[in-house]
Amino acid sequence: MSLEVWAEKYRPTKLDDVINQKHVVSRVKVFVEERNIPHMLFAGPPGTGKTTLALCIARELYGDQWRQNILETNASDERGIDVIRGKIKDFARTIALGGAEYRMVVLDEADALTAEAQHALRRTMETYSSTVRFILICNYSSKIIPPIQSRAAVFRFKALSEADIKEFIGRIVKGEKLKIDEKAVDAIVYLCEGDLRKAANLLQAASALGTRITESIIYEVASQARPDDVKKMLEYACKGKFKDARGLLHRMLVMQGLAGEDVVREIHRQIYGLNLPEEAKIKLVESLGEYEFRISEGADSLIQLEAFLAQLAVYGGKTLK
Amino acid sequence: MWTVKYKPKNLGEVVDQTEAKEKLLRWFKNWKPGGKAALLYGPPGNGKTCTVEALALEKGLDLLETNASDVRSENKIERFLGRSVKEASLFKVGGKIILVDEVDGLEASVDKGGMRAILRIIKESAFPVVLTANDPWDRKLYEIRNFCELIEFRSIPIRDIVRRLEYICKSEGIKADLKILHMIAEKNQGDLRGAILDLETIAQGKNQITFEDLEVLGKRERETDIFEALKNIFKTHSALSAKLSVSNVDMDPSEIFWWIEQNVANEYEKPEDLVKAYEALARADLFRSRIIHRQNWRMQAYMVDLMTAGVSQAKKETYRKFTRYQRPERLSFYSKTMIERGKLNNALKRIALKLHCSTRKVKTEFLPYLLYLIKQKKEFKDKLASTFNLTEEEINLIKSFCSSS
Repeated sequence: MSLEVWAEKYRPTKLDDVINQKHVVSRVKVFVEERNIPHMLFAGPPGTGKTTLALCIARELYGDQWRQNILETNASDERGIDVIRGKIKDFARTIALGGAEYRMVVLDEADALTAEAQHALRRTMETYSSTVRFILICNYSSKIIPPIQSRAAVFRFKALSEADIKEFIGRIVKGEKLKIDEKAVDAIVYLCEGDLRKAANLLQAASALGTRITESIIYEVASQARPDDVKKMLEYACKGKFKDARGLLHRMLVMQGLAGEDVVREIHRQIYGLNLPEEAKIKLVESLGEYEFRISEGADSLIQLEAFLAQLAVYGGKTLK
Repeated sequence: MWTVKYKPKNLGEVVDQTEAKEKLLRWFKNWKPGGKAALLYGPPGNGKTCTVEALALEKGLDLLETNASDVRSENKIERFLGRSVKEASLFKVGGKIILVDEVDGLEASVDKGGMRAILRIIKESAFPVVLTANDPWDRKLYEIRNFCELIEFRSIPIRDIVRRLEYICKSEGIKADLKILHMIAEKNQGDLRGAILDLETIAQGKNQITFEDLEVLGKRERETDIFEALKNIFKTHSALSAKLSVSNVDMDPSEIFWWIEQNVANEYEKPEDLVKAYEALARADLFRSRIIHRQNWRMQAYMVDLMTAGVSQAKKETYRKFTRYQRPERLSFYSKTMIERGKLNNALKRIALKLHCSTRKVKTEFLPYLLYLIKQKKEFKDKLASTFNLTEEEINLIKSFCSSS
């Protein structure tokens, strides 16, 4: 008795089932047929099939033994040089199982790798290219150093269209025998912002509420499942309730352990909706950019964002409460 | 030296620290190669090192020790410890124990790569490794902390220090008024070593000590209270005075930083003041990050100036009020929840593995919806637990740490 996560359950396992990305899939198919895979770099927005495609390749290459022949590692969890020098190197040194010529390393969220780690990786890619092929996955290829890019076939994943997302939703609806309104599907398409993972999660959460999924259920779930802590925090700050705003920020960054960059991105999205003079918003955006830059350079996201929140009360023209 | 002469010969003789000793023994008993190191932490002079020494004596182990007086670069550590952690002890049957004393005293520049070497020793050693530090949350330690079991050594209560001093006086044949011993103990605030040192200073070669003798001690420079420092920073208009107010606080600047941060919003009430104060802190933090990332410790001076003088200059005028200053929540949160967060992280990693993504994505992309599901239907909780092999405890941790407000 277990609860399968739909995003995982409906993750395509065959190249032919991957949603769109035809330009990438067709090239990759050739590689797989000739059983000759170059190092590859998959870049593109979240939830568009990068990891899925990598796993599909492994399945097609190694069949039942795919798990033994790939090393999946995630740079956002292990971003240091140690992973490259240790785990990956150790894996690269051992021989492939089941008669395959080489094994695969799937390095997800590779844009989180430090520059040093990337430089170490570049040597590893060369040294072990006879026994191991790398698939690096990232959102922005610009964060990967040029020497690595030049050693890999770079594939850009496109943002998915409305029809693509609907196709994916359709598979889940069919598989789970769901009853869902046309408008509810549109709502998911709107809310998921091209991210299939998000679409699946949203749909699964909504399915718990009743037998028939309606538009209003989708919106209800979207706001309930993601209560807008960031929005609340910004509103507190604008009203001069700095301490409450600070409390929420602590909750997100310290307790939930969310990444500063994720919170920054959400703030950026919310600034325009705040009850502030228009010219203040653009100043705030600029200053947010400065703080994000500092955070990306290694500054502490808590303190930097507190400095940002403190500014909101001034722009809000409020005294502190 | 009495601090050496009266060193405990076995764990029973170590003053106080019952809980810590038990924890250490348990750790020692269960330790296997590849297991965690023990990180003993707490203020100076409360028995961390001598507990390890006592443990070694009691169990008949060779004690291999390196402390802050040695250069501890990667090479040096490798040379000193690297081989010996793999070889069996030549002289005793019981084996060895490795002590890396004052591990927070590693200097980034001189002891280059030292932490890395220590981490490797921890992972590869055939013998148990013990580290000691005053501040386990020191940034330098963040990499090895995960590979350590943390054992806290508390300040020793005054009455226990007095009792120990009394015992020493008796053994040395010295008559001493209990009140005098009490004053020595109080002056040293939980630091038994300091107290014994003071006692020796005034009592050596005598058979009686008096109140007059105490004056000889003069005032050993004691830390100014952090609360005093905060008050000064927030109230003063002099940049220099604000800067100097932390110079006697016996804390790492990065810890003082969080004390100031915690209280800025308690003190400053005008939004403009708050903006300036936080920007000063944010700029101090930039220097902190330069220290960490470039190992440029010269930058510390600027970090300290900005967080003290910078914050003090943020106000237009002094707030005439009494502010009750608080301890930094962030630091206490980290220390209080360390074990839970370790378990939580473990659980998140297992989920991440099954979902082929990072723990960061688990937190931002999946948990909001999964926690929502659990909230809707109780039975989903067990189902989810079985999907990801989570224990009841783990799923509760996820619920309490990861749900939004």
